[in-house]
Amino acid sequence: MRKYWWKILGVFLIVYSFTMGLLVPLKPGIAYFEPGATQAGKAYEMTITGYNTFYTKATAAPRVWLKYDSVHMLIADRVEVLGDRQLKARFNLPGSLPTEKQVAVTSLIIDDDYNGFAVKPGSVFITADSSLQEISIGKAAWGKTEVSGVHEKDQFNFPYRVQLSETIRNLYYHVPFWFAMFIIFIAGITQSVQYLRTNNPEYDYKSMSFTMVGTLFGVIGLITGMIWAKDTWGTYWTWKEVKMNMTAIALLVYFAYFILRQSFDDDERRARISAVYSIFAFAAMIALLYVVPRMVSSLHPGSGGNPALGADDLDNSMRLVFYPAIIGWTLFGVWLTSLIYRMQMVRERIYDQ
Amino acid sequence: MNLTKEIGILLRKEMTIEWRQKHALGGILLYVISTVFVVYTAIKGVQPNVWNALFWIVILFASVNALVKSFVQENSSRQLYYYTIANPTAIILSKIIYNSGLLFLLTLLSYGAFILFAGNPVKDVGQFFLAMFLGSVGFSISFTFVAAISAKANNSSTLMAILSFPIVIPIILTLLKLSSNALRLMQDSSISKDIMTLVAIDVLMIATAFILFPFLWRD
Amino acid sequence: MNMKKPFSLLTILLIFQGFAQAQADNADFMRSVGKMYVVYGVIVVIFVALVLFLIYLDRRLTKLENQINDQ
Repeated sequence: MRKYWWKILGVFLIVYSFTMGLLVPLKPGIAYFEPGATQAGKAYEMTITGYNTFYTKATAAPRVWLKYDSVHMLIADRVEVLGDRQLKARFNLPGSLPTEKQVAVTSLIIDDDYNGFAVKPGSVFITADSSLQEISIGKAAWGKTEVSGVHEKDQFNFPYRVQLSETIRNLYYHVPFWFAMFIIFIAGITQSVQYLRTNNPEYDYKSMSFTMVGTLFGVIGLITGMIWAKDTWGTYWTWKEVKMNMTAIALLVYFAYFILRQSFDDDERRARISAVYSIFAFAAMIALLYVVPRMVSSLHPGSGGNPALGADDLDNSMRLVFYPAIIGWTLFGVWLTSLIYRMQMVRERIYDQ
Repeated sequence: MNLTKEIGILLRKEMTIEWRQKHALGGILLYVISTVFVVYTAIKGVQPNVWNALFWIVILFASVNALVKSFVQENSSRQLYYYTIANPTAIILSKIIYNSGLLFLLTLLSYGAFILFAGNPVKDVGQFFLAMFLGSVGFSISFTFVAAISAKANNSSTLMAILSFPIVIPIILTLLKLSSNALRLMQDSSISKDIMTLVAIDVLMIATAFILFPFLWRD
Repeated sequence: MNMKKPFSLLTILLIFQGFAQAQADNADFMRSVGKMYVVYGVIVVIFVALVLFLIYLDRRLTKLENQINDQ
């Protein structure tokens, strides 16, 4: 406990995650456009609003595509730069769609040499009158161009997501607390087991300190999550969200643990029985981990097509900040734990005298 | 003395004590009936989904009240006597078996009271009985163990509720799903998985209780 | 000393009322500027929680110091 290089490392990683997480800009993206729907066979003029874009700095006017599928796409006839954030693109839509569908959902792609390329999937709705459709014409008209020669920018940027926008940075300030909490709680449980095996009161203090810090991290994770949820899901608390409710239950268990500790006079008894309770409750939490996901689906990423951090969302630039943040907060939590533990030991010495 | 014989003797002891304190069991029954009656008069015409939730809430509270006394109904000198002659595994097992039986009886009686006052929306009786049985076993394991803990800690019934409610949440959630299927509030083809989950939770809890009880019992 | 507590409570109430009015003025405050304020809110929560924890530790240490001084 006396060595302190890991404390420096922890603080360094946290500072790193704060500076990188706040300073690195988001990739240029497409915030919104209008109108969102049009008809085949008409001229379609759209105004596009970019996010973090500098369209005036591009040497040539940006190219804009509507992409139907991997072989059918359409390039804008005329693109006008209205400002750094605004584009006006005009399409001459052919009278037919390339397939028999009456409604096509096309992706919007913008590319220029300064901002790189941006995609907004599932954007423009094109409706076609089926009686006038000629698929061969549609195929020919949509198949003329292809998205080629796009500018891949190698800048260090975080991805832009419309629903999340800048709040994607909360990944570094909300999620690491969960990871750190899990690690710290598991450390606490192992200390409880150690106590029951050895009857050495030091393990009880360690387990109590770990649990206290874990609870603190859990509360932080819950409150930060609620703020983020209010913005992204529109509500502070929802019964449809599994992870949120499981954490709330786990925190109830650990609050109960501290109340249990308060109700003993005898140190040995307190240590033993609270260790027993924490292990039993941990077993119940494992059951909960297994049961609850079967009850309701989660709003969190990774289930039900949610925006945020699926496999393709957590890109390498985010990993470079996210993983250090987890390690940093875990080390910080261990530091806090060691403070409480040492304080407890000093208290014991005072009482012994 | 082998384990089964020991458990048998301890079970007989539990029943004798319960029989001597008939008023305790009667009190719990009265609690169930009056709760159902109050609910019935408050909400006239109970909907099946409300019925379902109410049933398990009443069972939950009745179980806590019934089992809170598990480890304190005898005085400490007699506890010490048991400690010297009995195996802790036999003690926790006999308590859990006895309490499961008690809770299952209590659940059946509450079901009767619910039928009497609030009607019977249960469509699949077999499944509902299975839910009641597995629920009583699960409640019995967790509440017996927590009662043992709270008996060591000044034994307040508030502490018992605080300690045990978060722990039984997985059981309650599975039970609600199982019984809402029995009430045909929802159709679920994977109901056998839920039954397996409930059994798995019971097994997990009982294994943990086995391992940990000797540490509780020792003093 | 007795006056201190009601006064601070009143101040907090007034501040909260101010916040409430400000929020009514621009209901979409949290969503403005690319929703960066949500991130700031989260960071503030982290700091407040850590500071509260430090205060808790501080108070417990003060108790210990008092015990040492009493001996």
